[in-house]
Amino acid sequence: MKKTLLALAALSLTAGYAAQAADALPSNILYDATKEKKTLWPLPVKNSGELKYNEHRQDLSKWPTLSYEDKRPTRKPETVTLQGPLNGNAENGKKIAMNTQRGNCWACHVLPGDPQGGTGGLPLMNVGTWGYTDAHIYQQIWDRRVANPLAEMPPFGSNGVLSDQDIRDVVAYLQSLK
Amino acid sequence: MKITTLTLALLALPVAHALAADATYRDMTPFLDYGKSPKASDDAKHTNTWQYWKDNKNLDTKRVNDLTEFWTVNWKYRDAPYDDTLHGGHDAQDRGEVLYKQLNAKGEFATCMGAKKGNLKGLRLAYPRFDKAMGGVIGMEARIEACAAKQGMKLENGSYDNTAVSVYITAFSNQMPLKIDVSKGPLKKSFERGKTLFHMKAGWTNFSCATCHVSFVGKGLRGQIPTTHYGDIGHWPTWRSKDELQSLHVRFTECNRNAGVQPLKIGSPEYNDIEVFMTALSNGAPVTAPSQRD
Repeated sequence: MKKTLLALAALSLTAGYAAQAADALPSNILYDATKEKKTLWPLPVKNSGELKYNEHRQDLSKWPTLSYEDKRPTRKPETVTLQGPLNGNAENGKKIAMNTQRGNCWACHVLPGDPQGGTGGLPLMNVGTWGYTDAHIYQQIWDRRVANPLAEMPPFGSNGVLSDQDIRDVVAYLQSLK
Repeated sequence: MKITTLTLALLALPVAHALAADATYRDMTPFLDYGKSPKASDDAKHTNTWQYWKDNKNLDTKRVNDLTEFWTVNWKYRDAPYDDTLHGGHDAQDRGEVLYKQLNAKGEFATCMGAKKGNLKGLRLAYPRFDKAMGGVIGMEARIEACAAKQGMKLENGSYDNTAVSVYITAFSNQMPLKIDVSKGPLKKSFERGKTLFHMKAGWTNFSCATCHVSFVGKGLRGQIPTTHYGDIGHWPTWRSKDELQSLHVRFTECNRNAGVQPLKIGSPEYNDIEVFMTALSNGAPVTAPSQRD
């Protein structure tokens, strides 16, 4: 399957995915459609026979769950081509990379200025000197499964986590690490 | 922008097909070779840390106190007798005793739970189990909820009081090795389903349980180091040092959220199957209750 889309379409793609998901939610997830964040979590309350349910920080129901009722597939690996000049904001990219609720790159990668960077992935202290093209790094962040089908790195683009511009900003940040 | 969708991960396809009749495609972290009768000591073929945590009376002090090595003792330094401090799990055990004595005033609750002549010793080892009356494989806390309801007491699965009764009952099996048989029948099917779920990717991260506990085991994830998925079940339910009494299923909802995955309801068939899978991987490891963990 081959599609040609405008660069801006990345955002609407994400929205479309979410709308499609809402139609097919499993019945056994911790979820309340009337709450702002929708996803719930259970808190045991001392000396009580009932659980208290709190809202999670984000709506997680938009992506496939472990429920047997969930018929939503894993999104297939997407090969993307970076169009035009990068136009990335490195400062903004750093904020995305080192924000636990956005890129959260530091969970698995060592980045400058973070004393407890993760070791699940390669250390990226000087990734800007490795000679990778912007387009290559853009693809790795959008969906690393294209290079390695068993990659454990989140497919930030394919899964609608980061936008086209977000990823451009992170690429600019990574290329600045020398 | 040009997008080409590729069909990849051929390795994972047969696994995903086996789960859903309509063959919904799901990415998978590859299985380890779990064999037909898994046990805690099989970790020797995986992270090879079993040698360091198999005997919590004789843990290596240097290893326990080393920031890069402590994960190799699989948190066993939090268990008695290595650690004999008083914690919230003991409060829960006391609360559980009070509730249990109310529930079992007529002797019916113990029988409902499956205890012979009211003797709770070894009862924890009978769970998770296939329960015809409850329509499938269940954990002990689901049974506590059902048996308490028969006595007119509401003990929601996952609630503090349900879990407190679970801690109380579990403590009668202290130091006894877990031993569920997943080589045949409903538990075998449940084990296979749980194995698939443990390796199935989900959520915004596209992570599976195995992403952290197989692929990234022993790696640093910003201050946390994932441990082996072998030998983990004996200390559940547990007192979390963040001040929370947790059943295993409540912990699963936290694991899910940490990994960016939508949590399921407590007692869901999916969580029961993961419990069976993980309990089988703890066979031979002792029950330790009450317990505490970070």
